[in-house]
Amino acid sequence: MSRRVVITGAGVVSPIGTGVVEFWRQCLQAKSVVTPVPEQWLNYADLRSRLWSPLHYDPESLGITRAERLQLDPVAVLAIGAAREAIQRAGFTLVPAGERSRAFSLPEVDSSRVGVYFGTGIGGAHSFLQNHVQHLYQRTHEALKVYSEERAPAVDRERLNGILALLAHLPRYHPFVVSMLMPNAASAAVGIKFSLTGPNVTYCVACASGTVAVGHGYRAVREGRVDLAVAGGSEYLYDEHGHIFRGFDVAGTLVRDYASAESANRPFDEKRSGFLFSQGGAGVLVIEELEHAKRRGAAIMAELIGYAETFDAHSMMSLAPGGEQIERMIRAAITDANLLPRDVDYINAHGTGTKNNDQTEVEVIDRVFGKSVRVNSTKSLLGHTIGASGAIEALVTALSLRDGTTHICKNLDTPILDLNFVRSIERFDPRIGLSQSFAFGGHNAAIVLRRFD
Amino acid sequence: MNANVQQRVFKIISEIINREESEIRLDASLQKDLQASSLDQMTIFIALEDEFERTIPQDEVTDLRTVKDIVDFIHKKIQEPSPT
Repeated sequence: MSRRVVITGAGVVSPIGTGVVEFWRQCLQAKSVVTPVPEQWLNYADLRSRLWSPLHYDPESLGITRAERLQLDPVAVLAIGAAREAIQRAGFTLVPAGERSRAFSLPEVDSSRVGVYFGTGIGGAHSFLQNHVQHLYQRTHEALKVYSEERAPAVDRERLNGILALLAHLPRYHPFVVSMLMPNAASAAVGIKFSLTGPNVTYCVACASGTVAVGHGYRAVREGRVDLAVAGGSEYLYDEHGHIFRGFDVAGTLVRDYASAESANRPFDEKRSGFLFSQGGAGVLVIEELEHAKRRGAAIMAELIGYAETFDAHSMMSLAPGGEQIERMIRAAITDANLLPRDVDYINAHGTGTKNNDQTEVEVIDRVFGKSVRVNSTKSLLGHTIGASGAIEALVTALSLRDGTTHICKNLDTPILDLNFVRSIERFDPRIGLSQSFAFGGHNAAIVLRRFD
Repeated sequence: MNANVQQRVFKIISEIINREESEIRLDASLQKDLQASSLDQMTIFIALEDEFERTIPQDEVTDLRTVKDIVDFIHKKIQEPSPT
């Protein structure tokens, strides 16, 4: 059974804005937020990259209760916040699921026919690391503090106090740590919060997680396994000691050698030096069978018409040179949509800003599409939100098709290849858009969208 | 009894178990009267740790049954020096 599938709702939390309206407004103004990394991280390591894109979000304004804030990792909090906006934008009424319940139900829909498809690269690594540090340091800190105060020679105390400061940790080992760190916590939290009892699955596919989740949600609706999919990605990459950042930094993947913070992040530019690490974010789409959407009079943002995924089988951390599997994936996604490459008007590229990614990606785009298709990178604005990025970029693709315009590829002064990069805001007439993601491990995924007229 | 402590404990309990503060009485049992689950109760103590900036080990609270037990416990706890 093959059914038409549309996007009827969206929600987003990002470094440049929370909420679809604000986010899109900031995208079209080429907004980015780039600041020095937290100073305390430099107490633990000499970092080569010193910039990131911080995320400011208010759990209360995302509808998160005090109990949820205490029980959930931020990755799940962000997921709930974006899902709530998406569900409300899709026109569903949120009704308390029961007396004293913190959950909602959606009375207009059969909840057993609603699936949750969610992507994350590292799940609750934030909670794992914060509690790991607590586990390791608590007794050492206590013993050293007693020694410093009671037995250490006065001359050593200042140095010991410096060491004690480095051993700072959370006051408690959190009783909910397991349910906070497990990668499926975000999708589970969304299912619990909105009482959705259809399939509920987590895709842990590094930087492609969001695209894979949207793609699988789309397929589930198309094939009639569900009527509605709440699909997206969420990521939270902060920890007190800069541990997660350091992992990407030592791998040599992050921006460095920049003239200024504002110009450091430059996908597809000759002077690119790596990706801008983002603190995190979340993007969620409500994906719905067309007739189901029409029956309830839902506003339709765009139609989802194709999806494909391939695997490089080459390297954990590098794209296979030549991009053979990426090309196969793009062609398969376009075939899945019953289209030809020349039908595609706009590509939201993976566009990280690393030497390897961007070079391979432009070569493949040139081979498959030539110079006609418009190309931009949402990561040139947000930095890399890892498992959230694909879902946020799917949202950007839908908004670009709907509004006939898209954001620029920021800081692109000297393109590495003469493609049709978006370098100024202008009106155009896109009917078909493609959003693609590639991941550590070698996973490639792309979705194809059509403007809904 | 410090009325301010009691007020803050009531507020936390009401937020965690999603009841009006007016529904909470000192003699109410967390489990029987307020129907707080074991997860709710753990969350209440995490929230109390944050609110009063004291560490509350689980083995110190296993015998607390009523709201008054908690208020009394917190009252004693805040007499202890604050961790630096």
